[in-house]
Amino acid sequence: MADENENEKMDNENQKPEKMFTLKKWNAVAMWSWDVECDTCAICRVQVMDACLRCQAESKKDSYGKQDCVVVWGECNHSFHYCCMSLWVKQNNRCPLCQQEWSIQRMGK
Amino acid sequence: MITLSQRLKRKNDAETVPASRAPIRDRLLVKEAQEMSQMLPSSCSVLYHNENDLSKFVLIVKPTEGYWEGGIFRFDIDVTEEYNMVPPLVKCSTKLWHPNISENGEVCLSLLRKHSVDGMGWSPIRRLNDVVWGLHALFTDLLNFEDPLNVEAADQYRYSQDNFKITVLEYVRNYAKE
Ligand SMILES: [Zn+2]
Ligand SMILES: [Zn+2]
Ligand SMILES: [Zn+2]
Repeated sequence: MADENENEKMDNENQKPEKMFTLKKWNAVAMWSWDVECDTCAICRVQVMDACLRCQAESKKDSYGKQDCVVVWGECNHSFHYCCMSLWVKQNNRCPLCQQEWSIQRMGK
Repeated sequence: MITLSQRLKRKNDAETVPASRAPIRDRLLVKEAQEMSQMLPSSCSVLYHNENDLSKFVLIVKPTEGYWEGGIFRFDIDVTEEYNMVPPLVKCSTKLWHPNISENGEVCLSLLRKHSVDGMGWSPIRRLNDVVWGLHALFTDLLNFEDPLNVEAADQYRYSQDNFKITVLEYVRNYAKE
């Protein structure tokens, strides 16, 4: 990541050398969207390593402790909560991010 | 004691299985409503029926250019409990002359299609913000007049844009003023 940022900074400096301040801001935004695509479930917008929104809501309700909310990876390498994805494929068997036909590559944490 | 509490737990679980998705929708809405208001197109505004219910609101579009310029168009938006597995329900409550909006207020916008055959329909990665910008674009882009909802309007546009413009203005004058 650090190297990439360095490169982006250089590229940007070549284009607009006078605007150091806006440049910094731009970098922060770029990193944020990178996180979203890889680590956050695009369906419920919670980190895939945490329990999904639904499991969070339900465990809160009955103080039931930890729930088994696993992560699922598709052949397209996109990851979601299994809970979220199993709801979505009932309706449309495609990856919401890349629209490819959804097939499970692996599941786990 | 243990079996009793287990039984109680089991009973609770059974009861929560068909639980509505409303709490999930509401959690999503807290973020999405904020994002939407921050990124609203300058020609649009949002009106809530009830401040405590983010799931029902009116989007008001006042185009500042194009055929519908000067009109005030209201869309009733209802984010149902199944959100974001399904798109919000959208109805245009202002009568207007538009190839993609019927005179009854049905709106033809690909991202509002629940079942997508071409990958352009609803997907849970979409947000209210996308819906708002999509509706806003109905008044700026005149790209997709294939498969229109108002066939007569689409034909008129195809054959005579001058006549089309006149009809649009007539509707704006009659129905889309404050
Ligand atoms: Zn999720
Ligand atoms: Zn879950
Ligand atoms: Zn994918």
